[in-house]
Amino acid sequence: MRDIIELASIGLVSGLVIGLAALAVTLVFGIARFANAATGDTMTLGAYAALIGTAWTGSFLAGGALGIAAGAATGLLAYHFVFKKLEQRSSVASLLASIGVGFVIRAVLGLVFGHGQQVFQLPMVRPFRIYDIRVQPNDLKIAAAAIVTLVVVFLILHATPIGRRMRAVADDPMLAKVSGIAPKRVMIALWALAGGVSAVAGVLLGMKTVVSPEMGWEMLLPAFAAAVLGGIGHPVGAVVAGILLGVAQEVVSPLVGFTYKIALTYAVLLGVLLFRPRGLFGRNEGVR
Amino acid sequence: MEAYLVAIAIVTGIYVLLALGLNLQYGLTGIINFGHVGFFCVGAYTAAILSQHGVSLFITLPASAALAALAAWPLGLVSLRLRDDYFAIVSLGFSEVVRLIVTSERWLTNGVQGIPGIPRMFADLSGMSQASAVLGLLLVLNLVAIFAMRRMVSSPFGRMIEAIRDNEEAVKALGKDPARFKLRVLMLGSALAGVGGAVYAHYIGFIAPEQFIPLITFQIWMAIIMGGVGRVSGALVGTIILMVFMEGSRFLRDVLPFISEVEMASVRIGIVGLALILFTIHRPQGLMGDYTRK
Amino acid sequence: MTLRIRGMTKAYGGLRVVDDVSFEVSSTAVTGIIGPNGAGKSTLFSLVTGFLDGDAGSVSFADKDLSRASPMARARAGMVRTFQVPREFTHLTVRENLLTAAPNQSGEGLLDVFLRPGRIRQEEERIRAEADAMIAFLKLDRVADSPAGGLSGGQKKLVELGRALMTGARLILLDEPFAGVNPVLIETISDRVRELNARGIGFLIIEHDLAALTKLASVLHVMDRGRLIASGAPSVVLSDPQVRDAYLGGAAA
Repeated sequence: MRDIIELASIGLVSGLVIGLAALAVTLVFGIARFANAATGDTMTLGAYAALIGTAWTGSFLAGGALGIAAGAATGLLAYHFVFKKLEQRSSVASLLASIGVGFVIRAVLGLVFGHGQQVFQLPMVRPFRIYDIRVQPNDLKIAAAAIVTLVVVFLILHATPIGRRMRAVADDPMLAKVSGIAPKRVMIALWALAGGVSAVAGVLLGMKTVVSPEMGWEMLLPAFAAAVLGGIGHPVGAVVAGILLGVAQEVVSPLVGFTYKIALTYAVLLGVLLFRPRGLFGRNEGVR
Repeated sequence: MEAYLVAIAIVTGIYVLLALGLNLQYGLTGIINFGHVGFFCVGAYTAAILSQHGVSLFITLPASAALAALAAWPLGLVSLRLRDDYFAIVSLGFSEVVRLIVTSERWLTNGVQGIPGIPRMFADLSGMSQASAVLGLLLVLNLVAIFAMRRMVSSPFGRMIEAIRDNEEAVKALGKDPARFKLRVLMLGSALAGVGGAVYAHYIGFIAPEQFIPLITFQIWMAIIMGGVGRVSGALVGTIILMVFMEGSRFLRDVLPFISEVEMASVRIGIVGLALILFTIHRPQGLMGDYTRK
Repeated sequence: MTLRIRGMTKAYGGLRVVDDVSFEVSSTAVTGIIGPNGAGKSTLFSLVTGFLDGDAGSVSFADKDLSRASPMARARAGMVRTFQVPREFTHLTVRENLLTAAPNQSGEGLLDVFLRPGRIRQEEERIRAEADAMIAFLKLDRVADSPAGGLSGGQKKLVELGRALMTGARLILLDEPFAGVNPVLIETISDRVRELNARGIGFLIIEHDLAALTKLASVLHVMDRGRLIASGAPSVVLSDPQVRDAYLGGAAA
């Protein structure tokens, strides 16, 4: 039992990271209407930017801020040079181009930083116990950072005018168009926000494990799965689904082995699409 | 030099098989298959494992095609009814799961170490004549595939898949089930990828999971988009352009020796990425033009 | 043969787009459905043809219950629809568009394509003759070999009608056949519908162009805000004060 709770608490932390990535996916899917396959590589880019920032300033917080800025800038660049030009086309065109954007990001990172693994130089702290459950202090920091990010994002979405407009466009693009919500400003806010959130997810993932050019791409499938499970375009759903997936992955990994825990997310993705396409929270979106 | 050209021609021939399969799926039927490499992988491992047990090459090739098609069957059955972009994600995930399986099931696939010493084709020949024989086999396979595809395109089946590409709902309104046709197309394209995988395994002699990454899938996408979607000639032209890029980057290393092999790998990823972006935006119909002008 | 619609209901959120609609359509008549924008006419079409799942209600055609049948099965039962925005197969020629619609083609099976080319050639000749006759009947000769994507709106409507006819449908559901169509082609379409009806094919037509529809239909149903508010002969229905209020009043505004 204790093992399971320990696994679950580890899963909770990785679940928060998945949830953040899924949040970025679901925001873009809900508002720009396509599955953004560059999300994973934007995460990676954020992590590398944070590494540089930390090395320059000596402060991890400053590094993280640089990571977020880099992620947001990447989102905006991708929108300006690629996705804006595909707005009138089918969602498949944007999806295909987003694969290309991801590849370009990964290529640049590979050229600049090489293919080796790098780590954040975090102070080593001994794990401590709460009610006999072993807790890694770093995990606590990661969870705290993820929760702060989520609070900020939801404040933006619910308490600012641009956030409300974003939600309105997500709810009904036609209605938003006729009621005169300027889509361009919404799009700029969206891409900055999605890029920033991806970067946070990348930084936290890097803190948890290591930073490598492939790290974000490997998170793409879990992120898609969580976005679908939570209901496409549903931010709260994405986060909750991410946490559920993270916990489920860790809890089943003693049963199915380390490698197959990724396959679990695939099974969830497929199962949800087939049997409950609106996910846990979403409206009926029509996936067939 | 001659040996080098033959080697490139062989790899091109394998890629053309893959491109023909994807072109059938995307260009003619509109199926967004982002998991093509998964079927290539199934074919390669089928051939490698069977031939390790002494099965003849005449069997491993058709067996690879059959198994790859069989792997496509459950995927298509459950997910071809999904919206295009959801199928794309599901198929991408499928190829990653295939890679997970060949990585994990060591008893069958030898895991990350991969399978070495896969018997070569035409082993009683040597050197150039052996390579030429492989090239000849690929030529035959491709010609058969092209011939069969032309036959199909001009048949009622071909008419129907193009109708599905143009408007799936309208096909349903006429009382025909698009999923039935799409499933067959997915399996056929996968069979071509499977054959390609088998020839690849026998030719290279060593396969490992890391060779079957999604980058391969998107190289093929790059090829058919550059060559012209929905055209047999497009698959051919696009693959040749792809090979020029990939091999050209190798020459680039001769000119710029300070670029390391891993850096070249990044350059290649970047080229594929840029090509996907630029062609999707500026020439979605490819260099060879629209398929309406057959 | 009769199409029976009973208690058809569909709600989005709290809004009942189609609200407990019941009526019967005879396949020997031309029946019209009118109503202001947003009355639920197109939604009703999609419910009847199986392109949308209803919340409640049943559909049967020729005494065969189709309430849970797929769109494909409903079409094969002899009830074929067209679309408000034409869904022609853009890259196929007009003739190929019609050929795709012919039912039970053995050439749609892959094995037959490769193993029985002779039989397929025979079949093709037969349905090609059928398609050519249809092309002549619909006056599409001049564009028979052009890609359908390049046709005018009215010609596309004719292609969709031709496709529906090629399936051997007994009842054809036309979704706004006159929308965006020039007056000459409206005449052609009306003409062909009348002629086909005389040959025993039924039509259910949604249309905004009241004048053109009343000349064609022998029965009219009027929808307003998801409900059926009147049914009967055009002259009777159109003088109904409730209809004038809901529809004609709305159109005048």
